[in-house]
Amino acid sequence: MTKREALLKKLSTYQFAAHDLQLFLDTHPGDETTIEQMSRYLRLAEPLAEQYEEQYGSLTKRDDDGNNWNWIKAPWPWENGEDC
Amino acid sequence: MFVYEKKLQYPINIKTPNAKLAKVIMSQLGGPDGELGAALRYLNQRYTMPMPELKATLTDIGTEELNHIEMIGTILYQLTKNLTVEQIKAAGFDAYFVDHTLGVYPQSAGGVPFTTAYIASKGDAITDLHEDLAAEQKARTTYDNILRLADDPDVKDAIRFLREREVVHYQRFGENLRLLTDKLDERNFYAFNPEFDKACFKKKKGTQ
Repeated sequence: MTKREALLKKLSTYQFAAHDLQLFLDTHPGDETTIEQMSRYLRLAEPLAEQYEEQYGSLTKRDDDGNNWNWIKAPWPWENGEDC
Repeated sequence: MFVYEKKLQYPINIKTPNAKLAKVIMSQLGGPDGELGAALRYLNQRYTMPMPELKATLTDIGTEELNHIEMIGTILYQLTKNLTVEQIKAAGFDAYFVDHTLGVYPQSAGGVPFTTAYIASKGDAITDLHEDLAAEQKARTTYDNILRLADDPDVKDAIRFLREREVVHYQRFGENLRLLTDKLDERNFYAFNPEFDKACFKKKKGTQ
């Protein structure tokens, strides 16, 4: 696993944990412990997303990419190995 | 609206092409119990659903299914890229190749193109939630069958993740059904269509 893949996996793990709890909250909207836990995972994901975007390119389209449209750079999610 | 994130929900890195395996996994893209049908089913059913919990669940699970379409597409792409004509012929992938080359196309393992006949949107919340519960179990069985046929650990890892999501979604839809029937007349849930006959919801005590 490359350094990029390892960082992306760590980020995705926190985001996924938050997402799974969000689905649970759809049917248990008053569960404060779960809301707290979900927020904790989102907070853990935030700096990792920033770090990833700084090192490997945008995860979402934004207007602060400077003079270059970075969106078209960096590997696409389905690419691996020699694609990258 | 939807916003794209340039990443998979769960990482996939398949190192060994395997057209034979792609041929069966294809069913989870465009087959009768595939991810494309799942996304369309939930994202269309949600408009007329009663109760905020049900609208939220269908929107969020429907959106997650879009991730799963992308994951299956990724598996198909990685399993078939760089194949030689000899490998294509040996794997029996030639029938697919002649129509699509190595392009990803939503069809079943048997070659039937995706059709919306695979999904239902009945406009009755009880009926549609039962459809959704059944759909998750059918997809779970298909993933179990794929796991019987696959021997590549990189493929099995991603398929196991997708299989587990079917189980979780089934659980959430079960809660949806319970939340709904709790609001209906327990003597006869089926006396009315909860999406069409809005008056069927139980009046709260002390209100008109």
